[in-house]
Amino acid sequence: MIDLDKQNQLLSLIGEKLKEKIECYIVGGSAMMYHGVKGETKDIDVVLDDEKSRKILEKILKELGFKERDVRVLYFRKKNTPLLLQRGEERFDLFVKKVITFEITQSMKNRIEKVYEYDNLIVKVVSPEDIILFKCATERPGDRIDASNIIKSFDVDWDVIVEESINQTKLEDSLFPVFLFDFLQELKEDFKADVPNEIIDKVMKIGEEMMEKRYGKDK
Amino acid sequence: MKESIESILRKLEGLNTIDLIERKLNVKRSTAIKKISELRKLGYVETSGGGKQPRFYRIYRVKISKIGNPGLYDIINQNSPIKLSKPFEERIIGKKLSIEEAIIRAIKTENYRVVLAALALFNKIKDYSRLYELAKKENVRRKLGALYEVARRVIRTKKIDDKHLKLMLNAKNERKFIVPHAKSKDFKDIQKRWNMYIPFNKQDLWRLKE
Repeated sequence: MIDLDKQNQLLSLIGEKLKEKIECYIVGGSAMMYHGVKGETKDIDVVLDDEKSRKILEKILKELGFKERDVRVLYFRKKNTPLLLQRGEERFDLFVKKVITFEITQSMKNRIEKVYEYDNLIVKVVSPEDIILFKCATERPGDRIDASNIIKSFDVDWDVIVEESINQTKLEDSLFPVFLFDFLQELKEDFKADVPNEIIDKVMKIGEEMMEKRYGKDK
Repeated sequence: MKESIESILRKLEGLNTIDLIERKLNVKRSTAIKKISELRKLGYVETSGGGKQPRFYRIYRVKISKIGNPGLYDIINQNSPIKLSKPFEERIIGKKLSIEEAIIRAIKTENYRVVLAALALFNKIKDYSRLYELAKKENVRRKLGALYEVARRVIRTKKIDDKHLKLMLNAKNERKFIVPHAKSKDFKDIQKRWNMYIPFNKQDLWRLKE
């Protein structure tokens, strides 16, 4: 497991080794540690803007002794999977622009609240709302618990979540609100998370309309 | 009945003044001050302002875990009478941002308010040679020279040595705008000397004298 100190050490090492500035976005459990709602994480989820930056980070991490791991173990048959690099109990998941079904958009970049500079590595931490959306996209064990903890700790702006889920469907032929509906419903029922009913209804409606548009009405 | 910390944090989350805390918790001023002090000890409060400025209390529902050192906006806010609202929390890990670096970063933002507030940093410069080297690296030497002269018209600053001033004047290939599309009605002599548009008028600078 990686705690905030360990994460700082690892990112500082990368920053020192980088010859030019690279910006990346931190999502998932790592982002939760920066927001103060998680003590440790299994992996550091990093989203990069382009393949070139991923290659540079990959090279540095391999120099630091990280080894590539089979992505299918964790992300079986999913799209836009990361490059997994592991060293003992430390793991980096390196994504480029998209995290499974979810893409880093300009509106998400505008919502960034925390920026950390590790020499040449500029780390931007996504907002709590966007962490919930990423958690919905990755659906790994523990993602629901993490999302419910965020809901408990922050005054979540649910309109942002709804709008961003619609925004995602414009970028790719995705039915993100359908998955989001399931995710929020489970958070509410199984984890007793405080998700407003009107938001669940709203997301359900959007999802249904999208399904109708794609597959036609049930007769 | 004593209110739980969680419910107090929920009520107070965000930016507050002491008056606002009194009203939100429906308590006397002395109780509000005591509550803030308790929350600060627990690590939920960040204080800003004070002195001539009103004191603000930013209250978080989760404990603040500050790592690293202050970023550009914090450095400017600590050293300038013109305060900036931070678009995001910026922290520098593993090193401290010097005043010299902060000035160069402020110029690089090309943001009117950031550059204006950063003029106050000119009276804190310790190492002009380092400042020059950073400006050279970022190709902002003429901009730096022009802003230095503007700052000297309003605040006390240490005089830059002739060698570095000359080097800055000889710098080439810089865009003429410090802030895109912003030109001054005043400071014509500085604009001419440095071949650079100053984004401020004289009137904009009065707050630096505070």
